[in-house]
Amino acid sequence: MRTFTKAALLATVAAVAALPGQGAWADTSGKRIALSNNYAGNSWRQAMLRSWDKVTSQAVSDGVVAAADAFTTAENQVTEQAAQIQNLILQGYDAIVINAASPEGLNGAVQEACDAGVTVVSFDGIVTAECAWRIAVDFKQMGKDEVLYLADRLPEGGNLLEIRGLAGVFVDDEISAGIHEGVAETGKFEVVGSVHGNWAQDVAQKAVAGILPSLPEIVGVVTQGGDGYGAAQAIAASGRDMPIIVMGNRHDELTWWKEQKDANGYETMSVSIAPGVSTLAFWVAQQILDGADVPKDLTVPFLRIDQDNLEENLANTEPGGVANVEYSLGDAQGVIAGAM
Amino acid sequence: MSALLSPRVLRGLLPPLSLAALLIAIFWLQPRTMSYFGLNLLLNLAVPIALATIAQMFILCVNELDLSIGGFVSLVACITATWLHDTPLLGIAALVGLIVAYALLGALIHIRNLPSIVVTLGMSFVWLGLAVLVLPTPGGKAPEYIRSLMTLKPSLVPFPIIASVVIAGVVHLFLMRSAVGTVLRGAGGNPRSLERAGWSLLKIKMSMFALAGFFGVLSGMALVGLTTSADANIALRYTLLSIAGVILGGGEFVGGRVSPIGAVIGAMTLALAGSFLSFLRLNPDWQIGAQGAILIVVLALRVLISRSEAKR
Amino acid sequence: MSVTSGPIVRLDGVEKSFGAVRALASVSLDLMPGECFGLVGHNGAGKSTLMNVLSGNLMPDSGQILIGGEDVTAGYTPQTAMRHGVRCVYQELSLCPNLTVAENARISHPAVSGIGWRRAARALIGGKLDEVFPGHGISTDDVVGDLSIASRQMVEISRAFAVTDVAARVVILDEPTSSLDAVAAEKLLKHVRRYVSEGGTVVLISHLLGEILDTSDRIAVMRDGGIVALDEASGFNRNSLVAAMGSVAEGAAQEAAEQAVIRATAPVVVSAKPAAPESLTLAAHKGEVVGLAGLAGQGQTELLVKVFDHAAGTKVSGAVSLVAGDRQTDGVFPLWSIAENISIGSLRQFLDGFLLNHARAHAFAEEWRRQIGIRTPDVAEPILSLSGGNQQKALFARALGAPAEIIVMDDPMRGVDVGTKQEVYGMIREQASRGRTFLWYTTEMDELRNCDHVYVFREGAIVADLAHSEMTEERVLHASFRADA
Repeated sequence: MRTFTKAALLATVAAVAALPGQGAWADTSGKRIALSNNYAGNSWRQAMLRSWDKVTSQAVSDGVVAAADAFTTAENQVTEQAAQIQNLILQGYDAIVINAASPEGLNGAVQEACDAGVTVVSFDGIVTAECAWRIAVDFKQMGKDEVLYLADRLPEGGNLLEIRGLAGVFVDDEISAGIHEGVAETGKFEVVGSVHGNWAQDVAQKAVAGILPSLPEIVGVVTQGGDGYGAAQAIAASGRDMPIIVMGNRHDELTWWKEQKDANGYETMSVSIAPGVSTLAFWVAQQILDGADVPKDLTVPFLRIDQDNLEENLANTEPGGVANVEYSLGDAQGVIAGAM
Repeated sequence: MSALLSPRVLRGLLPPLSLAALLIAIFWLQPRTMSYFGLNLLLNLAVPIALATIAQMFILCVNELDLSIGGFVSLVACITATWLHDTPLLGIAALVGLIVAYALLGALIHIRNLPSIVVTLGMSFVWLGLAVLVLPTPGGKAPEYIRSLMTLKPSLVPFPIIASVVIAGVVHLFLMRSAVGTVLRGAGGNPRSLERAGWSLLKIKMSMFALAGFFGVLSGMALVGLTTSADANIALRYTLLSIAGVILGGGEFVGGRVSPIGAVIGAMTLALAGSFLSFLRLNPDWQIGAQGAILIVVLALRVLISRSEAKR
Repeated sequence: MSVTSGPIVRLDGVEKSFGAVRALASVSLDLMPGECFGLVGHNGAGKSTLMNVLSGNLMPDSGQILIGGEDVTAGYTPQTAMRHGVRCVYQELSLCPNLTVAENARISHPAVSGIGWRRAARALIGGKLDEVFPGHGISTDDVVGDLSIASRQMVEISRAFAVTDVAARVVILDEPTSSLDAVAAEKLLKHVRRYVSEGGTVVLISHLLGEILDTSDRIAVMRDGGIVALDEASGFNRNSLVAAMGSVAEGAAQEAAEQAVIRATAPVVVSAKPAAPESLTLAAHKGEVVGLAGLAGQGQTELLVKVFDHAAGTKVSGAVSLVAGDRQTDGVFPLWSIAENISIGSLRQFLDGFLLNHARAHAFAEEWRRQIGIRTPDVAEPILSLSGGNQQKALFARALGAPAEIIVMDDPMRGVDVGTKQEVYGMIREQASRGRTFLWYTTEMDELRNCDHVYVFREGAIVADLAHSEMTEERVLHASFRADA
């Protein structure tokens, strides 16, 4: 899947390369781009910041942009990030790339930025202000894909356990909505239990262990990432047959999967967003500054791991981290072209 | 001449001087801020903080502490972005109800002689829970009139500065200059004496809590006017910010020694401290610590001044 | 100003008890317009209770309060008192330290309000200050917390005399001159006379007998919650007041001779001198019970603490343990058992290595329970299951159980019933005869009779040194009050 995406991207790059206006890198060499990030407290965000740093420092030394600085708020609060964005405006950045604490709460500050002529590109945690660009993850589709995969593997259907994320966060609602849509569409599954795993394996393990005794036999576990390993531990401890647990690209999840695969041929899939999506946002911002015509709404490709490319991806994932990929200018142009 | 430099005057000058020092440092680091546009961006988010700080000040004035103001402001923000926008009458009724609830909290704390820290800590979860009920996922929309008020661009002086001066001035007139305000402050200084003079401490506590609720409501509305939409967690930081703001502005935890002008200045100082540190390009991991360091420096200066006063 | 010839305030058979302690025993009293009424008595005689009843802060258990002939007993509160023109200047100040002088005036004068109230309040309090204490040097815009204690007292007094909508008909002054210097006190007393001559009534409470005698028209002496003498001021002199305050002379000491022997032969174990200049030095010999007498709060506790701390300026040979006076704040651990409360003073005795041997601690507590008769079936019961007197016994057991040679006691018998007191006295004597030394601060005359030697404190200094044989209530009282007063 991953290789397919890459191939498709490369194809579009080739197409875009022929477009006029391309290659005018010098146009943005004086521009400064800032990353406004609301949280850095988990492995995904750490990887995100590392990818940003890796790709943008190369871009700066290549003279593509003058500066690409990352700012993380001291506390994960809407008001903090709004103040941070206003400070970035005052510091004279030409574009601000945002991973937002709230899709709505920052709109005031984003509007100020737009009014001041600053380009705003949001990704992952997107903002809804009309003047901003959005590189959204189709979380709903992600949830639906999980169910579709299970439908493929389990033609006769059965009971599912859903592990949700952090209550009250829109990502959680979106993925869950996608899962339930998938269940309704395929018509052969029933979600018999739902717990909040907070995207953390220890929380998920406790929650799953707590609900298991009350559940009938389950054939599949749909997850949101970060929680698959904990679920597997809890189910293993209960002595039940191991259902198909959809994983979320975390190192512990992939490792467990690999062990099971080697031991008994266990088969599943893993899907999540690569933290390197920050670099995609960077290139999109650069393209906008460059004068490219970019639609306001773009979609991030998922990073999906399957049975055959598990080893390759596991090898590239740091312990405690999450499977990652960094995007290039070409990838960005591909995504833009795809949305046109 | 010596009266000009007396410790009491110095203590009073400390908050504005801290603010001025911070502003100068910011202007120097980032000259772009020294403009109408710059000041507007720098200070607009300080307005709701200032209102929350005023709310906290009313509570501190009667020797209590409100650990729920952040949750309360969040709830108000959620109500403002939903009910007040969609069904104004329901919204207004809800907000008035919240002010009444605050007054009743004051009565409960006074009559049952409960520690306000415990009561308000408990209430913070109640407010937060209600906020999630009102607005389960972030969103909502600020009522147009609040939005246009908060984004007002008066000529010459930026709106946040005008708003801060008006807030500080009005509360100062009421609490520090009026006959009623004097009695309210007296309740913090020596409640027994107030009671002996025939004033009802219950009424005073209820009034102070109601005032805190009122300014909490204003704070939530102002915040939504700036952010355009709400979130159940939007103002949780305000609890600690507001306490720090009152103290930074020269107020004390006990004894009814508070200053509305100081509180507004304290809130602005805290808001600017964040900008200052981000202009310094300080690593975010250090920013909270650095913000604390600024607080400690200012408070240490105050202790030094008070000491020199005690020595006389 | 009332011009009727009847009493402005009449107290009729007022009684007040706090638990078992009878603070006021059927007090009847008339206050006439145009008089200064002096009130004297030893600590705990009931003066403050009486004034708190009069000002509405305490409800009497029985009896009537009439103001201007009207019965106001039912629902009498500070507000009703104020409405009837009864003002009180409390011993502990009741100004708001965070407000200015003028703002404080506003607090007790609700009529000062509306636009321009600040000017009115300044004029009100400033004018009164000028009238009562000319040359006071206080600005009405000063914050009270920044003023000296004397200035605060002046503000408080002026505030009580100031008049807005309700006339000040009765002003109660509780120890008003205690924090004023001589000049200000003189001004105040002059003002009292002037006010009285204009038809007002003042109740003056003071330990300074001179000012009472000079200023009052009539004087009442209180003892044990009742009025024991009431007459025109001219009918008293200093000696007769002191005599009235104390009880009638009682049988002299029988053991005097024996005590003198201790003093002559036993070594001195404690020698301490208060910080105040011109103070005598306290000396306690081994096996003696030494009393620290005088009015409350004259430096006795401070000296005890110095001895306990082995502070500089004191010579103490031997370990010291202390029996606290304020059980609730300094004495008991309210959540612990009786045994734990007793054994905490000597834990080191029960150590096995670094662990505590609870069985031995319990046995030790049990032994002391038996020895001094703490009334409980089991020392494992919580300490709060005991009556006040028995709690105090437990504290004694804690101090006596410790290996200390010297025991200092900070008014330990407060609120303890008579029976328990007698038992404790016996215990102290018994322990003293075994060679322990006691320093005993007490405000009760009866307890001083159990002492071999008494030192009288006044204003932080020891002013009299009385052997048991010389000790009479009258001499203690005489020494307690300033000679020039």
